[in-house]
Formats: sequence, structure tokens, C-alpha cells
Amino acid sequence: MTQSGYGNRQVSSWAFLVPFLLLFLAFLFVPMVYAFYSSLFINRMGQEVFVGFRNYLNAFQDAAFWGSVLNVIRYAVIQGVIMLVLSIALALLLDTRYARFKPFFRLVYFLPYAVPGVFASIMWGFLYSKPLDPLLQALHVDPLSSGALLYAIVNIATWEWAGYNMTLYIASLTGVSSEMYEAGVMDGCNEFQLAWYIKVPLLRPTIVMTIILSFIGSMQLFNEPFLLSALTPISQTFAPNLDIYSMAFGLTNLPYAATLSVILGAITIFISCVAMMVTRLIQGARSRRKHVALAVEV
Amino acid sequence: MLIQMESRPKAEREAVRTFAAWKWMVSVVVTLLLLLVACYFLIPVVWLLIAATKTQAQLSSTGIFSLPSHWALWHNVVLLFTYSHGIYVRWFINSAIYAGSVAILTCVVCSMAAYALAKHVFRGREATFYLILLSMMIPGTVAAIPLFVIEQPLHLVNTYMGVILPLVASPFGVYFLRIYIRDVVPNEMLEAAKVDGAREATIFWQIVVPIIRPALTTLFLISFIGTWNNFFLPLVLLHNQSLYPLPVGIQLLLSLISTPAADQSVPIYQLVITGSLISILPMIIGFILFRKHIVTGLTQGSVKL
Repeated sequence: MTQSGYGNRQVSSWAFLVPFLLLFLAFLFVPMVYAFYSSLFINRMGQEVFVGFRNYLNAFQDAAFWGSVLNVIRYAVIQGVIMLVLSIALALLLDTRYARFKPFFRLVYFLPYAVPGVFASIMWGFLYSKPLDPLLQALHVDPLSSGALLYAIVNIATWEWAGYNMTLYIASLTGVSSEMYEAGVMDGCNEFQLAWYIKVPLLRPTIVMTIILSFIGSMQLFNEPFLLSALTPISQTFAPNLDIYSMAFGLTNLPYAATLSVILGAITIFISCVAMMVTRLIQGARSRRKHVALAVEV
Repeated sequence: MLIQMESRPKAEREAVRTFAAWKWMVSVVVTLLLLLVACYFLIPVVWLLIAATKTQAQLSSTGIFSLPSHWALWHNVVLLFTYSHGIYVRWFINSAIYAGSVAILTCVVCSMAAYALAKHVFRGREATFYLILLSMMIPGTVAAIPLFVIEQPLHLVNTYMGVILPLVASPFGVYFLRIYIRDVVPNEMLEAAKVDGAREATIFWQIVVPIIRPALTTLFLISFIGTWNNFFLPLVLLHNQSLYPLPVGIQLLLSLISTPAADQSVPIYQLVITGSLISILPMIIGFILFRKHIVTGLTQGSVKL
């Protein structure tokens, strides 16, 4: 016991952190670094050959890859807007005194959160299949046709996540003191004005956070198109992760798959950061409220 | 109340009544609208329940929401459980092993780290915390394929541990528990224990863990659900069917649907539909039972940001 008390505490602090940090480094940090490292090589006749940034130069000219990136950004925007409108509307409706059976509705809307994406895709996929769904046959609609596929997947993702976002909004609304609403009512606000002028501005930090989280999720789109490809032909370039997956395991071109992974990750983080900075600037100009800056932190 | 009403002028009473009627109308319209949305969220699950009671022939010959004349649910369950020497049961057990182990280990590992980050003062604390926070922004699938490459020399590909270990280090878990420990565990209590000569490990297990049990329950449930629902990681890391969790197993069945075998020898639709139903039922029942814990956890983690 020659160490000082302070030194002992330092040691014990790191002892508590070691299990987490070891796993964190081994299974998240190292793979990320390794992804970058292996993207600097190519596989020539079973030999790894260092080529510098040549994979990146190839990737920048890879029209199929950029097509898939644009497609998934389009998907992220469409899905994000629809889900946002739906989940805010549901949260606001459930927050009025007009809604009945609130606990029941909250439970039902949130239920898909417990259903794995794979099974959501299977259920909707079968409902989309003409042989199983006479309604679609009668209407001459085919959600699995190449033109409608994007919207078919938008619907699956919205079904999965709208209730989750709604739950977050409801929680932020109930966290607010009722004094503010009472003041609004005293000033003669009706329910609609109350929602638009008081509740929506209060929700703004949570909305920003959910937009960014939903965007990060959308960019990784994989499960839904991968599952649906058993029911309908789907191009590998529908989403970058489909492309990367087939690159790694179909064509076994791991270095190039790693290159595309790194680029996709960089694009996602870049767009998220830009979104955060833009909202921070707007919010900063509007008010100096602390919680906004904190929300943007994550 | 009644007397007051009576004493009011007639016109005012009329106005109050019209207003009440209008309010009632709005309430009915809003509730009907909410009911319509509820149908949207319930339709796929209801369809799955009904479809699981049908035979392959009935699936395409009867209306999608009409019940069959005689139920084939038990027949379908037997079909599923005996298919390929009961591989489905194996997948179910695997899912439980993955989700259970990840949930328990996440709670232990993350609460230890969160305790140090919340209550200890040491050099590098802030940097470590922000590194963990930042990593929440990394898209999960980016690391999956390099993970496969890294696990090969470690002999972790095609093992239970290979799937469990990468999911344990949850940045969200540390972030969530750090806030909870910082706000809920009183410093005086820790100081008092230290004065009494308690060791750090004793303080953690005997004082901190019992206090944060509600948060640990939440984290357990969230990471259990997350692991049970995970598809991409096991898909990439496992190539041995007997190690698959349910989503990967059912995906394997689904991928047989367009092969010729689907029409003749194997009733793929029945297997996929009944298999999906039995896979999501425990999650739905558990979700309804433990919803409160899950909601408080998710919202505390996000509202308090």
C-alpha cells in the first residue's frame, strides 16, 4: 500500500471501465480501423496488394454505388417525412382531452417496436403478394413492382417506427408542466393553437434528435429489401448495404466492400453532423435555451 | 350544480349544452380516427394470426382475413416443430441464448463503466465519455463486415460468443446508466461507505447496484429486444444453420420460397407464417407486460439528453 489514495482511486476507476472498453475497442473500434486499413489493399490472385487510395478512386467512379446512395437518401427523406408527420400527429392527438382510451392506443401504436424488422417485412411482404392478397388483384396494384417497391418499404419502416417516435414525443409533452398549457388556455388558445404554438415548439429538440436517428437508420437500409428479394427481384443497387453485402459474400471482394462501408459511414456521419450544426445555428439564433444544445450533443 | 344551472338564463344554458355536444362530437371523431390508425398497426399481426390457422391451399383460396372452416393451426405447429429434425426449436433456443446472454452481460459491463464515469473523478473521464457518445453515431452495419474478418483469426466466426460479445459494449447502455447513477445515487452514501472502509467493489455491488435496479431492468429489456430482433450481425457472422437465431432461420426458409421445392415437397408458406408467429408472440406478450419499464427507459434516455 505505497500508492496514494488518489492513485488507488485512479486504478479502480479504470478497473470498472476495462471490461466495457476492451469489448468496445475489440468489436467496434478495431473493426472500424481495420475496415479503413483493408480498404487500402486489393486482392490479386489471393494476394493482398497495397494500392493506397485506388479503391476510393474506383468507388468515386462507381455509378452503381452512387445510384444506391442516392436511392437510399431519397428513401430516407420520404420515409422520414411521412413517419414524422404521422408520429407527431398521433402524439398531439393523444395529448388532447378529446381522445378516449389513450392507454390502449398508445400500446397498439407502440407494439410494432417489439416485432423484429425481419418479421415485419415478412408479414407486409405476404400482404403485398398478389397470390395471397385478392384485394391487390382486384385493384391491379402491385406494391412489389419495381416502381412501387420504395413506397412498399417506406410503409414497412413507418409501421415499425412511427409508434416508437410517438412514444418519445408523448414523453417530452408530459414532461412539461401543465402551467404552460393553462396559461395558453387562459389566453384563449383553442386545442389546435395550443398544439401548434406551444406543444410543437416544445417538441423541437426531440424532433431534431429523432430525425437524425431515423436518418442514420434509413441509410443502413438492409433487412426489408433483403427479405423482400425472396418474393420479388430486387436490384443489388437498391441500397448501399445490399451492394456491400453481396460484394463481401457473393463476390468475396472484401477490400472493396470495406471501402464502400467506410464511404457510407462517412456520408452518414457527415450529413448527421451538418444537420446538427444547422439546427444548432437556427436554435442558437432563436434562443439560448440550454436543453437544445444538449439534445444536439447526441 | 343543478340549481345553479336552473337559475341561469335559458340562452346561456343552451350555449353550454351546444358546447358540450360539440365537444362530444369532436371526441367521437378523434377517437374514430385513432381507431382507424390502430387498425393499420394491427392488420399485419391479425393477418399473421389468421394465416397461421390455414393450410397452404386455404391461404390462396380463402379471403385473407376470413377464418378457415377447420383450423389447421395445430397441424402447422407440428409441421414447423418437426421440419428438418426440429431445427426451429433449435433456432428458438439460440435466440433465447443470444438475447439472454447479451442482456445480462450488457447490464454488468455497462453499469460498471457508467458508475466510474458518473461518480469517479479521474484523468481522461470526459474524453472517454465523449468517445463513447460519438460512437453512437456510427452506423452499426459499417463495422459488421470488418468484424467478420477480425473474428476469423480469433476463431469467433460460427460461435455463440462471436455474436454475443460484439453486442455487449452498448454505448447507449453506458450513456443511459451514467445519467441514472449521477442523478439517483447519493454521493453522501458513497462517501459514508468509503469512510467505513468499504472497498470500491463492495460499494458498487452492495450500494450502487441495488439502487439502480429499475434502470438495469429497463436496460435488460431493451437489449434483450434489440438482440432478439437483430438480423444483420448474425447473418454475417454465422454460416452454420444450427447456430442461427430465429430471424436468420426464418429468412433461410423464406429464401426457399421461389425454389421449385416450395411447391412440391415443403410447405414453405406454412412454415414461414407459423414460424414468424411463434417468433414474435413472446416479444409481444413480454412487451405488453413490461411496457412501463421499456417506455421509461427509452424516454429517459432521450428526453433528458
